[in-house]
Amino acid sequence: MTGEQIQTLFGLMLEYTVPTLKIFGFTLLYSIPLGMIVALLKMCRFKPVSWLTNIYILVMRGTPLLLQLIVAQYSVPYIVRSELCPGFLHALLDGVDIRSEEYMFNMMLFAFVLNYAAYFAEIFRGGIAAIPKGQYEAAGALGFNRFQTFFRIVLPQVVRHVLPASSNEIITLVKDTSLASAIPYMEIMYIAKKQVPTYASLLPLFMAGAFYFVFAMLLTLLLSLIEKASDPLWRRGVNEKRKELFRRGNA
Amino acid sequence: MAMLEVKNLSKNFDKLKVLRDISFNVEKGEVVAVIGPSGSGKSTLLRCINQLERASGGEINVCGINMMSTNEKGRTVFADSKTLRIIRLKTGLVFQNFNLFPHMSVLRNITEAPVCVLKQDKNTAKEKALMLLGKMGLESKADSYPSELSGGQQQRVSIARALALDPEILFFDEPTSALDPELTGEILKVIKELAAEGRTMVIVTHEMAFAHDVADKVIFMEGGYIVDEGTPDHLFGDDASERVKQFLQRFNR
Amino acid sequence: MKKNILTRLLAGFTAAAMLTACAGCGNAQTAANTDTPAASDDSLQKVLDAKKLVLGLDASFPPMGFTNESNEIVGFDIDVAQEVCDRMGVELVKQPINWDTKEEDLNLGKIDCIWNGMSINAARAEAMNLSDPYMKNEMIFVVNASSGLKSMDDLKGKTVGVQTGSTAQEILEASDMYTDITVTPLEDNVTLLNQMELGFSDAVFLDSVVAYYFIAENHKDFYVLPGNLESEEYAVGFRKADQTLRDKVQTTLSEMKADGKLGEISEKWFGSDVTTVK
Repeated sequence: MTGEQIQTLFGLMLEYTVPTLKIFGFTLLYSIPLGMIVALLKMCRFKPVSWLTNIYILVMRGTPLLLQLIVAQYSVPYIVRSELCPGFLHALLDGVDIRSEEYMFNMMLFAFVLNYAAYFAEIFRGGIAAIPKGQYEAAGALGFNRFQTFFRIVLPQVVRHVLPASSNEIITLVKDTSLASAIPYMEIMYIAKKQVPTYASLLPLFMAGAFYFVFAMLLTLLLSLIEKASDPLWRRGVNEKRKELFRRGNA
Repeated sequence: MAMLEVKNLSKNFDKLKVLRDISFNVEKGEVVAVIGPSGSGKSTLLRCINQLERASGGEINVCGINMMSTNEKGRTVFADSKTLRIIRLKTGLVFQNFNLFPHMSVLRNITEAPVCVLKQDKNTAKEKALMLLGKMGLESKADSYPSELSGGQQQRVSIARALALDPEILFFDEPTSALDPELTGEILKVIKELAAEGRTMVIVTHEMAFAHDVADKVIFMEGGYIVDEGTPDHLFGDDASERVKQFLQRFNR
Repeated sequence: MKKNILTRLLAGFTAAAMLTACAGCGNAQTAANTDTPAASDDSLQKVLDAKKLVLGLDASFPPMGFTNESNEIVGFDIDVAQEVCDRMGVELVKQPINWDTKEEDLNLGKIDCIWNGMSINAARAEAMNLSDPYMKNEMIFVVNASSGLKSMDDLKGKTVGVQTGSTAQEILEASDMYTDITVTPLEDNVTLLNQMELGFSDAVFLDSVVAYYFIAENHKDFYVLPGNLESEEYAVGFRKADQTLRDKVQTTLSEMKADGKLGEISEKWFGSDVTTVK
């Protein structure tokens, strides 16, 4: 491939990092809160809820994401056609334009979010379980209600506990976005795959790999910084250093 | 008016009877020490009064407000959640394991509840917290985190945290049991100071000498019952029941 | 109460998931039962009303339908389909699909037809309403025009290049002449043809559509030996029930063949009219 061709290809891929980032961003935006809700449902003392949640997690973690992405695409037309479909659901889904870009994107996101929420739920459940009972008791004795206890006492500690494992998932998601190319949704990997026969060369795939690598590397740096910043002692150390510098600057 | 009234209180864990027919009163400004062998139900008693456990039967009144009672049909009825909340704020509890919030600075550990629960102004809460820390001899530790403190320091912070809510009655659940022996002194000193201020306190403890010095009344529990109670001079004296003497002998040996 | 709503929501999700699973098995049967076109087939009218024909393709098969350097979908099939749509007065929508699930996309109505150098086989004839074959793809030998090789018999003792892992390689290895020739496998057809021109091999064995496209594109002085080892035919796939749409496209293709437009497009891509439309 000539330098000019590589430049064209690079430009094209740069343009299609936007859809890749869109999948990545939206998946995290929805799957992290959903994962937290699923984790709480799984810990629910009302057993049927906990069982159903377990089944959901089992299915999501036990089947390939690629398959889930494809099933999500075909779920709406199949449900509409099914005789078992209740009337209200039929009325709701019949108007969906399965040819539209939005439908394709939304169903794809739906699968990504459900899949990642299941993984996040397991991580969060571990994080919540790791909080000692004494923390809840101390919060209760001080008069915090359940809501305040969760958001002010439990959650901040859970966040610190789950950061390393979550970082791992987030980095994995960077690469999993490439599965969208099978839908097909036009993102970096789709472009790369389609350009392989055009140039009769594997270079587009290697270039795509480089894009993912750079993205994952930047994220790794960012996440390790967040991990550090979540340590209050580290944070205070930085603050003190800053104050010190300020004092010296004034002197 | 008694600050705390406990009548015929019982608590069962499945078939295990942990508290049986417990009755006692705590008057304003009184310091009550609860002693007895491990597993006698002392901690459970405190947890029931502080709403960390639900008692199975009997009656509890805090500052004249009914928290729970057993009606004629033998059913245990608890006050509505609003009342329970009001009662909760009238009581303070200091834990054996401190249970400080590790993600908050010492100062925020103390101010969090006043700001969040009592909706106090942040600066007011901070001033009060610093005052309490001063009293505990920990002014310099305001910006530290619990993990940087010794056990004794952590326990003093947790006492300050409980005091920040101005409780009418303060409970201590074996406050020195998790500490190295050389650190227990500083906690006992703080509690003695609080007693001197006239605070109403109930202290579950294994420190017999301390109980003798500080308490106005001592309760001896065993097997879920109150076996004996009275002034320290009575309980640690010759006319105490045989069982109490036997128990105390082990400590004096 | 909150718990209750969550419970119900969760139950709803599960029910929906089970429904999907059931619908999947139920539908496979109904699809097979729609062999006979519906009495009132409005497939053509629907396309005309929507003013859109949605063409499903994999977009990675040069020269039939592929993605060019600027990410536009182009190719021989696309040019032909564009002309068909122009004549029908509808817009051509090029919809990339996953080739593995093309039958689903067609049957569920995501696309109106599959048109991407799709070769005819028994399974596809069963699953879809296929147009008449519009083109033949043959497994052929290309040689340098100056080599003097005139027939497949002349290849005895010669070196033949073939793409690694391709069907061409399989066919060649299974043929009678395999023992008489030396085979040099290489990564891709373009390199093979370039190397043959330089004398690295005497002939290249490959798909005729690719060969004609390459020769036309690069103006090479190559010669295609008469005869082939195997051939397949390409057709356009429609839904089983969409008879009127299929017929309209078919007659439009025949018109284009008759007035020379189809030949013109073929010449652009393959250097001559290689279409087989009647």
